[in-house]
Amino acid sequence: MKKKMLVAGVLAALMTVPSVAYAASATDFSKIKVALVPGGAHPYFQPWITGGKAANTEFKTGGTIFNETGEWDQTKQNAAIDSLAAQGYNAFGIFGVSPSDINTTFANLKAKGFAVGSLASCPGGYDIVKEPQKNTADFCLSTDTGAAAYLAAKAVISAMGGKGNLVHLTGNAVDANTIRRMEGVKKAIGETAGKVKLLTTITDIDTDLQTATKAVTDLLAAKGKQINGIVTTAYNPAVAATDGVKTTKLPIKVIAIDDDPKILAAIKSGLISGTVVQNPWGQGYVGSWVLAALGSKACTMKTAGLYVDSGSFLVTKSTVATYDATRQATSKKILKDFQTKYMTCK
Amino acid sequence: MNVAHKIKSLVSDQRFVLSLLTVALFIFFGLKNSAFFNADFVIYPLIRDAATLSVIGLAQLCALSIGHLNLAVGRMAAVSALAAGAAYQYLHVSLLLGLFMGLFVGASLGALTGWIIVKSQVNAFIVTLAMDFALLGFVTYIYVTFTGATTAFTTKPAGMEFWRNTSWHQYCVAGVCGPKIFPMMLVPAIIAIAVIGFIFSKTRLGRELLSTGSNLRAAKLSGIPVDRRVITAHLMSGLLAGLAGIMLAFTNGSFTAAIGSQFMLPSFLGPVLGGTLLAGGSVAVLGTFIGTLLTLIIRQGLSVQGIGLETLNIALGLVLLTALSLGQIQKMFTAIRMRGRT
Repeated sequence: MKKKMLVAGVLAALMTVPSVAYAASATDFSKIKVALVPGGAHPYFQPWITGGKAANTEFKTGGTIFNETGEWDQTKQNAAIDSLAAQGYNAFGIFGVSPSDINTTFANLKAKGFAVGSLASCPGGYDIVKEPQKNTADFCLSTDTGAAAYLAAKAVISAMGGKGNLVHLTGNAVDANTIRRMEGVKKAIGETAGKVKLLTTITDIDTDLQTATKAVTDLLAAKGKQINGIVTTAYNPAVAATDGVKTTKLPIKVIAIDDDPKILAAIKSGLISGTVVQNPWGQGYVGSWVLAALGSKACTMKTAGLYVDSGSFLVTKSTVATYDATRQATSKKILKDFQTKYMTCK
Repeated sequence: MNVAHKIKSLVSDQRFVLSLLTVALFIFFGLKNSAFFNADFVIYPLIRDAATLSVIGLAQLCALSIGHLNLAVGRMAAVSALAAGAAYQYLHVSLLLGLFMGLFVGASLGALTGWIIVKSQVNAFIVTLAMDFALLGFVTYIYVTFTGATTAFTTKPAGMEFWRNTSWHQYCVAGVCGPKIFPMMLVPAIIAIAVIGFIFSKTRLGRELLSTGSNLRAAKLSGIPVDRRVITAHLMSGLLAGLAGIMLAFTNGSFTAAIGSQFMLPSFLGPVLGGTLLAGGSVAVLGTFIGTLLTLIIRQGLSVQGIGLETLNIALGLVLLTALSLGQIQKMFTAIRMRGRT
C-alpha cells in the first residue's frame, strides 16, 4: 500500500512538470493546424488521436486531424498529405510508409514551408542517432525499437529462469525497425552465455491478426513443447501469442508488446508475464506541440533532424494499474526536454 | 436529324461518357470544397499519379488485348525498378541508361512469361500468378542481401528531381508557358499512350494482337503467328510495367521492394473503365488514361472532403461500380425505349 502511494506521489510530482517549464501555452499557436498521418490503419496509432486532441486543447492550436487513409502505400499517403495541405493543415507529424522514400516527402513539405516531424519511426537507411542530419524532417520522435526489444527479451529470459528456448515473433522482415528489434533480442540472448537459445524468429506476421494467429497456431502445434519463452515485438503477433498460450495451456512465458485489452487482461490473470508498451499517445501529444512551436516560429531545433526516444516501458502484474500514468508523465518530461534542451525558443 | 444522330453516337461512346463523368466529378468536388482546385497540392500530384498508373494500365491492356491477364505487372515493375536502381547505385550510369536497362529487364521478363505460356500451354492467369510469387521472393532477397536494413537503392541519378518536381510551366515557347498543373512525368505517359495507341490502331501488329484476343482459332487459321503474338503482348506488358515501376521510383525518391505492390487493382481499373474488354479483342488506350484519372479524382476528391477510410472505400467502390455499369445502364434504357416504340 505504501509502495503504491509512493508511486502515485512520484507520478503526481512528474505530472506537474510542464507547469514550471517553458510557457508553452503562452505562445499563439492558433494559426497552426496539425495533421497526424500514419502510414495506414493500425491500432498502434489510435492514441495519436487523443494525444493530438489533448495538445490541441492544452496548447490552443488552430486544429488537429488524424488521417489514416494512406493504406500502407507511399503514393496514397503522399496524396493524403497533399489533400490535407490543400485543406490548410500546415504542420505534419508523419509515420512514413516507406522508410527510404519518406525523406523525399519530408523534403517536399519543408520546401513549402511546413513544419514536419517523423513520428513512430525515423527514415531508414542510416543510423539516426549518429547521422540526424540525414533525416529531412525537423525531428524524429519514436520508440527506440532495438532498446524496446532488448527490454522485452531480458524480461522474458528472466521469467524463463534464465535458460531455455526462446521464439521471437515480429513484423515485416525488410523493415529497418524489425531488423533493429531482431538485433535487440539477439543482444539479450547473447548475454546469457548460451543458456538461452533462439529457436526461431518468425517475421512478416504483423499484417493482420488472422495471419499472426495462423503462424502462432502452427508454431505451437509443431514446437510447442520445446518452447520456454516467446517474445513478441509486433502488435498482432502479441495478441495471437497471448491467445495461443491461453488455448493450448502450454507453460510458455510470454512478453508481449503494446497494451491491447486482451494483453492487459492476460497480464492481470497471470497468463502472460508482461508486455512492453510504447508511447504513441506521447508521440501525438509531444509531437503536436513541437510541430506547433516550429510552425509558429516560436522555437527552432538546436539539431535539425534530431532523434528523440518516445520511451518504452515494461508492464507486469504489479505495474499494470499505474503504467498509463507513468507513460503520460514521461511524455510530459519529453515535452519539457524539447522545450529546454532540444529547442531554442524565443 | 444529322445533329441528333451525332449526339446519339457521342452518348453511346463510352470514352465520351467517361470524359463527361470525369469533368463533372472534377467540378463537383471543386464546388464542394475549393481546396480541390489547389494546383500545387491536388491537381499536380493527381496528374503525376495518373501518369504512372495509366502506364501500368497500358501494361495490363497489352495482356488484355490477347484475352490474357498479367497478374505479375506489379512485380515486373519492381524488378525493372530494382535493375535500374542497382545500375544507378553500383554502375553509376546516367539516368537514361539506367532507365533503358530497367526497361530491358521488364521487357525480358514479359517475353519470358509469354514464352512460358506458349510452351507450357498453361493458362496465363496461372503463369503470371506463379511469376508474381517468384519475383516477390527474388526482389525481397536481392534488396535484403545487397542493401541490408535499408532495403532500397537510394542513389539518385542526376535528373531524377527534375522528373519528380518540374512542371510544364517552366517551359515557354514565344512567351507562352505550359500549364503549371502538368508534371514532367506526364511526358513518358503521353509517349506510351501515343505509341501503344498507334500500334493498336494503325499497325498490322496491333490488328494481329486484337485478332488473337478476339478468336484464337480464327486468328491461327488466318495465318497469324499467334504464339509469337502472345510473346509480343507479354513483352509489351513487361516493358510498360517496367516503365511504370521506374516512374514510381522517380516520384517516390528511391528504388524499393514495395514498388508495384499496389499496382494490381489500378492496372485493371483504368483499362476496364476505359472500355477495354477483359475477354480480349478490343482495347481503349486513351480510355485507360481517362479511367485512371477518374478513379484518382474520386479518391482525392473524397479525401479532400475529409472522408474517413471506411467511408472513402465504400464511396469509391459505389462510384466505380456505377461508372463500370454505365454501359449496361445505357443498354437497359435503349431496350426500354425500343420496347416502348413497338
